[in-house]
Order: sequence, then structure tokens, then C-alpha cells
Amino acid sequence: MSKTPEPAARDEREADLSRRSFLKGAGGAAAGAAFVQGAQATQEAAVADPEAGVRILSGATEIEMSVNGEARKVTVEPRTTLLSVLRTRLEPALTGTKEVCDNGNCGACTVLVDGKPVYSCLQLAVTVQGRPVTTIEGFGKPDQLSAVQEAFCANDGLMCGFCTPGFVVATEAALAKHSNPDADTIRHELAGNLCRCGTYDGVFKAVAEASAVRRGGAK
Amino acid sequence: MDSFSLSLPTSLDEAIARLPEDVFDSSVQLMAGGQDLLTELKGYLTAPDEVVSLGGVPGLDSIQPHTNGTIAIGALVTLDALEADGALPPALRAIVEAASSIASPQIRSVGTVGGNLNQRPRCWYYRHEAAPCLKKGGAVCFAKDGKNKYNAIFGGGPSYIVHPSDLAPALVALNADVLLTGPGGQRRMSLEDYYYLPREGPVAFETRRAANEVLTSVEVPVASPTTSSTYLKFKERSSYDWALSSVAMALDMEKGVVRSASIVLGGVAPKPWRARAAEALLVGKRMDEVDELAVAKAALEGAEPLSDNAYKVPLTEGLVRRAFRSLS
Amino acid sequence: MSANKSNRRADPAWKPRSEMKLINTAMRRVDGPDKVTGRAMYSADMRLPNMVYARLVLLQVPRAVVEKIDVSRALEVEGCVLAQPYVEAGTEVLYSGDDSVVAYVAAETEEAAEDAARAVRLTLMPGPVLVTRLQSLAPGAAEVTSDGNVGRLREQGDEEDAVLGLSESDVLIEETYELPIQHHLCLETHGCVVDYDGEQATVYASTQAVTSNQGEFAQLLDLPSDKVRIVTEHMGGGFGAKFGAGVEGGIACTIAKQLKRPVHLLLDRPQEFQMGGNRSGTHARVKAGATADGTLRVIQAEVDRLGGVGGGSFPGLPYIYEAEARHVKDRSVHTASDSSRAMRAPGHPQASFIMESVMDELAYGLAMDPLEFRKRNLGDDVWHRHLDTVAQEIGWAAHPNKTAAGAPDDDGMAEGIGFAVATWGAGGRRGAECEVRLNPDGSVTSSCAVQDLGTGARTYVAAIPAEEFGLPLDAVTARIGDSSLPPGVGSGGSVTTGSVAPAVKAAAHGAREAMEKRLAEAIPGDVDGFVWADGRVRSTGGADFDVSFREACAMLGTQPVAVTAGHDRSLQARGQLHGAQAVRVRVDTWTGRVQVVKMVAIQDQGLPMNRMALESQIKGGMIQALSYGLLEERVFDNEHGWLLTDNMETYRVAGTKEIPELVAIIDDEDDRPVTGMAEAPVIPGQSALSNAIYNACGARLRAVPFTPDRVLAALGLLS
Repeated sequence: MSKTPEPAARDEREADLSRRSFLKGAGGAAAGAAFVQGAQATQEAAVADPEAGVRILSGATEIEMSVNGEARKVTVEPRTTLLSVLRTRLEPALTGTKEVCDNGNCGACTVLVDGKPVYSCLQLAVTVQGRPVTTIEGFGKPDQLSAVQEAFCANDGLMCGFCTPGFVVATEAALAKHSNPDADTIRHELAGNLCRCGTYDGVFKAVAEASAVRRGGAK
Repeated sequence: MDSFSLSLPTSLDEAIARLPEDVFDSSVQLMAGGQDLLTELKGYLTAPDEVVSLGGVPGLDSIQPHTNGTIAIGALVTLDALEADGALPPALRAIVEAASSIASPQIRSVGTVGGNLNQRPRCWYYRHEAAPCLKKGGAVCFAKDGKNKYNAIFGGGPSYIVHPSDLAPALVALNADVLLTGPGGQRRMSLEDYYYLPREGPVAFETRRAANEVLTSVEVPVASPTTSSTYLKFKERSSYDWALSSVAMALDMEKGVVRSASIVLGGVAPKPWRARAAEALLVGKRMDEVDELAVAKAALEGAEPLSDNAYKVPLTEGLVRRAFRSLS
Repeated sequence: MSANKSNRRADPAWKPRSEMKLINTAMRRVDGPDKVTGRAMYSADMRLPNMVYARLVLLQVPRAVVEKIDVSRALEVEGCVLAQPYVEAGTEVLYSGDDSVVAYVAAETEEAAEDAARAVRLTLMPGPVLVTRLQSLAPGAAEVTSDGNVGRLREQGDEEDAVLGLSESDVLIEETYELPIQHHLCLETHGCVVDYDGEQATVYASTQAVTSNQGEFAQLLDLPSDKVRIVTEHMGGGFGAKFGAGVEGGIACTIAKQLKRPVHLLLDRPQEFQMGGNRSGTHARVKAGATADGTLRVIQAEVDRLGGVGGGSFPGLPYIYEAEARHVKDRSVHTASDSSRAMRAPGHPQASFIMESVMDELAYGLAMDPLEFRKRNLGDDVWHRHLDTVAQEIGWAAHPNKTAAGAPDDDGMAEGIGFAVATWGAGGRRGAECEVRLNPDGSVTSSCAVQDLGTGARTYVAAIPAEEFGLPLDAVTARIGDSSLPPGVGSGGSVTTGSVAPAVKAAAHGAREAMEKRLAEAIPGDVDGFVWADGRVRSTGGADFDVSFREACAMLGTQPVAVTAGHDRSLQARGQLHGAQAVRVRVDTWTGRVQVVKMVAIQDQGLPMNRMALESQIKGGMIQALSYGLLEERVFDNEHGWLLTDNMETYRVAGTKEIPELVAIIDDEDDRPVTGMAEAPVIPGQSALSNAIYNACGARLRAVPFTPDRVLAALGLLS
């Protein structure tokens, strides 16, 4: 893939004060960013480097993913995140997974990959090919809630609801790992999810209740 | 994030062949779990033409005891695997505690040992794209006279970052080595030497890894059963944060006497900071005759705080005391 | 009550709480299942055919002349369909915030929009950096705006009285208190999706004011209001930040008009921090005095409201307390950052922190129990009762340090308790209307344009008619968040419930009376009245009548009953809200760590609609306050003006491990009718937390948040 060469020297003020100064890499050679690379990249397809035998993905590439048990074909670039695929590239889109921080800080985009909780904003979609992805839509439905979802409703573990899908998925992962988590374990396993309305107390109760239900105990 | 091509080598040799020779050539970047790299890409802190994913390289994801008395932890071992019961012997508890303290379950599911050791700093200026800081090729370390609450009190200058890894102090305290493989084969060095201070080398980087080398594993000597270790980390937000300060401590004690001690501080310097003067106050002493406060003071001796981070001195002293108490 | 053919009518009234089956019970939210399964559609989730993704371009420095804006390279990005300057070349951007928007783009995909936004080239001439109070107040400082750097002076009380009061006090304090700028941090960022075809538009807006947005967007789209529909089925938080369309809404409309395609424009997270709203900071120099008998003699203060280019909020001192004399001056000190917006109880947490700190410092100065000192200076008995309640729940009686701070144990740990009180106004406002409709097939809808910010409005819009007709909650469908429905009110100042619930009640009442009239006409013979209970309706005398609700509706034939009613002031609470909170902390005096162990709140709230949602609201307030107290602070680089806390790593909010045991007590002695109350419980938490830290170990924190650097400094451990 080629990049448009950047002018070596730019207006100083521009270099320092433009909205995001386009420093490239850690090496200190402060070259500018390539602005039209996307246009070129999408013309290219996945190619195998004949010399190295290494598979190289470049530009628009069709990949097959397993989402909630269904095989889905989708066109992505190497840089496309799993979150972006779910929310904007799948047809129909799976918008239950939320974008909040887009930086791996908040947990609203949590999905399961290979059964483990991950931030879908920090996963390149191409790297989850062949690995099962489970999103919030892959658990219960409104008229057929999972034990976790049921417990969130019963304990008011939600207010505005924007963090809720992430919390539900993280809880499913936590309970897969710990069948009977104590209060500290619940806090530890959900520490990657943030809520702004302040529903944590309801969430903690919901997790405890769901774990009891899943163990076969009464509520 | 800018576009890049992604190469998916299936062997270490293939991966290494794709890497540049020049350390200042950032056009190709390695990715393990990608949990740090993706934030760098999203923040436009780096914009490589090519990202080389190690995900398809076999043999890097296991924890294996060696006959030579070490345990090899592959670079692609995920952080949650270190947390798992029985993954490591009890004497290496500091590693487990460090792993467990990192970020969040979602990050630990994906983030790797290699990635954690090689992650880039969290300094607010380094991470803010608008700030053309020293580490990004600029002329100024803005933290020095700017908002430096989270920056270094030891080893600073000309850059004042702190190294963000939690595993690093724990592994240094347990005398781990790193194994690096490049075009010329494998080399080994102590993890302590793997990191360098900004004044000791190119300010843009933190480690001695050559651009075309891959960190393949960490080897930790299996400490004697009389050793106990701990990692105490202070996070401003307990739920999910990097260390404001941390202490890794390992003590080998026999009949109440300290045979060897290592104390390594995290979050206070551009590399894991070994507190040798404090260690010296412990070795040969009976635990009940140790002056815990003196050890703590010795650990922080020589600190040179910036305008907003003098608090790290008493805070870290406190952590040293707590770590010592938890091992006694 | 009667419903015979003479059609006598009664005024609507809430029935006794003891007779209620749904209201004042713990109900599940009706939209819970949609939210926990990811089916709930937020504005950010809208995916319309042919939709473009739009993005704003913001300056990263607070002030600069934009000499040149070049969008040509943006237009070269594949997938980019539009790239335009928002300001003319030569414009001076004055502050970091919505003024920072200089260009915008639209593209076929989110990635292309981001690429295009980055490809916009700017040539800037930077201006002075004025991001701190001291920079703005420095002699010779440049003006933030043409209005100058200081404004909106207010003065309360009398200076001579205050000076006399200080001379007559037995204990005096003179201290400075500081609160930082904090953010709403709505998880769904500001923005909307505009679906416009040239003649009409539907705007999916993340707004807390559906009804008033209709006119605003109509203007932006040059359409008559009746051609614009605002839809807010669900929204990811507001907290006071999301009333108007904003610059982002205006640009979305501009793009929509130009392209005649649906436009998706939601701010990204750094932009949300830069222009999505904030709570004003505060700097207060205070002198106060008390007499030996525990009377707050005087408070004198000079308060700077730090609301960026806005005025900031401050309700005055001695806030909730009573002082014999006061002299309080406050003014706004402008910095080159976005105007503060209404944020959950605007100004009150700030005043609370200052005043509750003062009260604590004076109490300990007199060696008095701070709980007792508070009660002596609070006029209204409700607060006395509230303080006693939280004191009991937190374990004050058994606590060792009552009149002086405690000391750490051998392990360096110290435990303490602190208190603070809350207030807000009760009630609602006129304008809200609701339609309750009973269909012949037995389905019931309750409709009001009001939005549900996560407070549970949708649930009581259904529950009130369900209660009226003796139906289960799921028998009524609430239709909300749509400007084509009867008008709602903006959700600000805790007025939503006090405005909307009475309208729903009046409509339900009216629908019942209308229904009873129709039934009475259909039943042979006279009927004295009807009772609606357990899904059935029966006569209370006269002709014998006892059918299921569905059978009764079937008697309507083909014509439904639909009644629209407006706000009824007799159905809402009036006066003042009260509350008190207590916090128990453990302080690690070696490291400065503050661990909140337990928080207790009591809150009065009139007639609770949904006890479970109410408890969540109170706890939500407590948690936000804890988060302000421990973590939150907006930070700019002082030299260059970069907003360093423009992401959720550096702007920290509380996560699971910060959350203590929480006890929320609903004050059932408050027998007033309905009111909202969401502002009140966010007010006292950080104040009580600070006081608990002092009580534990003698570290007085006079600046928020109470991070370890400040705790260690207050303990005298910094050399």
C-alpha cells in the first residue's frame, strides 16, 4: 500500500496548532498523515505477499464472521473495529452494542469473543474471523429474557440504559467464570464497565440474583 | 484511525521478516492483543503503513516450567491466564496480583504479557494528539512544567513519563529475563535492563527491543518456597486505572531472617525503579528487627518530584510499608 | 363518586396510598426488557436508508484566528459527500467549546467521515490562553470576550452587619474553598439523526426537551412546526446538558437541507467533553463565625463562579442554613471555555460543599458535635428529623469521634463519618398534557411527548392509568418521546414528574369518567357508580353490573374513549424538598486513599410514583456525588490550552469498586402529592464525604476532588 508523500516542512503554526497535529509514529520524524490513503486502500484487495508467504490484508476485504451463531459476510478494512462492524456494517445493524468512549475505558461495547468479554472498540474485525462473537442480541429477547436480563429488570439495574447491554454481557461472562461470586468478585469482574446514572447497586443485586437462579436456587 | 495493511504471519520468522531494521522507522508496528496499539492508532499517535499481527504465530501463548528452574511465560499469554488459579507457584504471587490489577476484565481477556511489557506511556501529553511532545518527536516535555501529577519522581529528564506496566515491576522484582528474537537469532537480557531511562537512549522509546525483534517470552526463576512476593498498586480509581504508584516486593525468608529482598517501584519512574538502598536495609535482618519506616524512607530516597507530584513520595512510602507488612 | 346518567363529575385526586396497587410500589420499568436486550433504540442507533454520517471539526486550542480553512482534501476522501467550513476565514474562535467548531463533513461511512474531518486543513494564528481563574484575573489579561472577564456581580446581606458578627463570634474561620469544573458525561453524546425530505422532517434527537425541540428544529430546517416531528424513544443520559439543538443540531439540519438525505451527527467523545456541557467551578473566600452556644453568627464570602464564557451557578450562602448576619458577594470569572450548563442541581453541590465545610469547621472549632451544630442552625424540623435518621443508620451514636477528629490506628487507617443536607423546590409546571385512550379491544394507551431520561417517566405514564382502571401495569401502553403526542415539558429542575404525572392522572381520571358515562348509558337501568379493580369493573349500586375490563371496552362499539387533560396543580406537591446524607469513610493515612464504606440518604419526595425507580434515582445521585468527590475534574493545560481530560481515562468517574454500601430511605412522612426530586440527592454527598475524611483523621479537604495528593497534603505529609 502506498501513501501520499507529505510535504516535509509545513507552516510551523499549522504543524503545531492544527487541530490534531499529524505526528507520525514514535520515531520523531514528524511527517504528516496521509489524507487520501483511504481512497486508495479501498481499491486494493487482500493479497498474499509472494515472497514471504504471509497473508496481507489491505483495503476493502470481505470477511466471514460468526455473530450470535449466524455466519455473516461483511466488507471491512483492516482498521475496521468489531464495534463498527456490528453497529454500522451489518445489515441489519446490531445497535444493542453501544459506542460510548471508543477507547477501551467504559465497557458499553462489551461483547463475547470465544466466550470471553472484550471491548469490541478495541478489536479489529479481521482478527475475529472464525471466532464466535456473541452480542447483547445473542442473549434473551424482550419476551424471553435470560436469567441475567430478568434479574437486571427485577432489581432496576438500569436507568437510561445506555451502559446496560455492556453490563449484561459482562455479567454473562462473569457468571460463566464464577458460579457464585461474592460482592468483591462481582465488583472485580464488572470493573471494566461504567454507568453514569449510578445504577451500580441494582446491578450488583441483579448479578447476585442471577447467579442464584442459574445455580438452580430460588431467587 | 488511519488505514493500514494487516499482515498475518504464521511463524516468528515470517513476522520478523516484515519488521523494519531502523528503530526510527515506525511504518511497521507489531500487534499482539492490540489493546494498547489500537488506542494509539485511534489517537493518531502512530500511523503505520503496516501492522504485523502476532496472533497467528504459534508457540507464544503458553506458561511452561523449564528444567533449568525457570518458568517461561509466552509473550502471547493473556493477562487473565496469569490470574487463573494455579497458573504460577505461590512464591510468584506478585505476578498474579499485578496481572489482576491491570485495567479491566475485558482488557485482560485480550491483552498479553508481551503487550503489557511493551505498552506505551499514559502521560497526558503523550496521549493528547495536539501536544507535540518530546516522545513524539517534539522539542518539549510538556509534563515537566505542566500538569505532571501523574509523572515521574525518579529518573526523569529529558522526558518525565512513568512506565505504565504493572507486570514489569513484579517481574523485575522476581528477577525475570526477557527473550527477544530477531533476524540474527535469539538474545536474552534481564527485564530490568530491558527498560532504560530517557537520558540513556532514544527518548522516543522505553525498551531496548530492536525494531525487528519480537519479545517472545519472559523467564522467571522459580523462587524458593521460602520466598513470598506481593504487588501493591495504588489506583486513583480503584475500578480501573494505571498505577499512581506501585510496589513489587519479594522476600526470601528463612527462620524469620531475610536472605534476599527485592523492592521495585512502579508508576514513579520511566522504568521499573529498583529500590536497592531499601533492599539493603532488609537483607540479613530478622523480620521483627526491621525498621519498616526506614525501609520505606530509603525506597524513596533521592526522589525529585515535579510541581504536582510530591505526594507520590509519602504515598509510595506508605505502599512500601503495606507491602512489607503483608509479607511479614 | 357517582357515574350515573346524570353525569356528575368529580375533581381528580390521588387515592389514599394504602389503596394503591401500582403507584408507590416497586414496579419494574416497562422499558426494562427492551433495554436489557439491546432492542431499545437510541438516537445514535438510528440506521436509515441512504443515511450519511456527519462529523464536526473542532479546534484544539481555546482561542485562535482561523486564517484559512481548506476542505479540498476532505472532499477527495472516498465516500466523503460534503465538507464545508462552518466559519469564515479570518474568524476568531474565542473559547474551547461550541465556538471551536470550524468545519463539518458528511460521508457514506463513519470511517470516511472521520478521514474527511481530519483532512480539513486549518491555518491558525493562536491567541492568548485563558483557561484558569488566575489567568483571567491577572493584571493586563486579555479579555475572554468583549464583555470582560468578570461579570454578573451580586451582593447579598450587609457588610457592616457581617463585620460586627465576626467581632462577636467566639470561633472564626477564614478559608478558601474550591470546586473544579465537572462534566455531565452523558453516555450517549449530544446529537441527532435528521430525516428530512424537503417537505417534512423527523428528528431523532437525544434531548431532554422533545416538545420545545420541535419549534427549534423547525426553524433550523425552515419548516413549519407541524412538518417536524421530534422522536426520543430512549436517550442515554442528559443531566441538564441536553435541552437545545446546539451547534451540532444546527449543522445536522444544514447538511440535511443540502443533501436531502438522512444525517447522523453525534459528537465523538473528546468533542462531548469539549462542548457537551459542564458544571461551573467555584472559588470562594469565606470568613465565618459562631458563638459558643452553637449559633452560626455570620458568614462573609467572596465567591467566583467559574462557568467559562457563561455565568456559572451559585444559589448563595449560607445556603440551607440560617445565619444571624451575612455578606456574600458573588461574580462570574470568565475563562475561554464553554459555558456551564444546567447540571443536576445547578450551583447547589458547590454551595453545599462550601457551607457544609464551614459548618463542620465551626462545629469542631467549638468542640461541638457537628450534627448538633447543624440542627441548631436549621430552621425546618424536617431536616432535624432527616439528620437524626441518617445519623442512626450510619451509626453515629456509637462512633468515637464526635467533637474532634479521630486519629489513625497502628496500621495507619482511620474511620470517620460526615453529614450534609439537601434542598430543592417541589412541584411541576404548566403545559404538560396527556391523552388516555381506551380502545374497544381493551387496549389502553397513555400518551405524552415527554422524554424518559432514565428516570422512569415511561413507567408512570403507564402506571397511573393502570392504577385508575385497576389494571396490571402491562395492560397500558405508554407512548412517549414523540412531539406528535400531547406536549410534555423539558426535563429540568426536577419538574418532569410534578408536571407530567398530574396531567396523566387528570387524563386517566377524565377517561374513567367518560368511560363510566358510556357504560352507564349502555347498561339497562340506573347505576350508582363503578369500581375498577383487579381487571374488572362492577357497579356499586343500582343495576347489577360486573364484567372484565375487556368486556367493558367491547361495549364501546367502534368508538374509543379518548381524553386529553393538562397539568392540574392540585395533584402536585408544592414547597420545598429536604434531604440529608451521611457518609462513612476509611482513610489510609499513609497513602491518602479514601474508601467510602457506606452512604445513607433520606429524601422527601411527595407521593412516590415507583419506589424502585425512586430508590435508584436517590442512589444515582449519591453515586454521582461520590464520583465528584473522589475523582472528577476537568483539566486544561495552562500554557497551551489543550483539554487534557477529554476522554474517559483521564476524566475519571466512579466504577464498581468505588461503590459503597448504599442505603436510600424514602421519607414516607411526606404526605404531599407528586413531585420530582432528582436534583436533591446529588447535592450533599461530596460535602458529607469531605466532612467524613476530616472526622476520620483531621485532614480538612477544601478543594474537590479528594484525591490522594490533596489528602496527603491536608495530613501535612508533603514536604
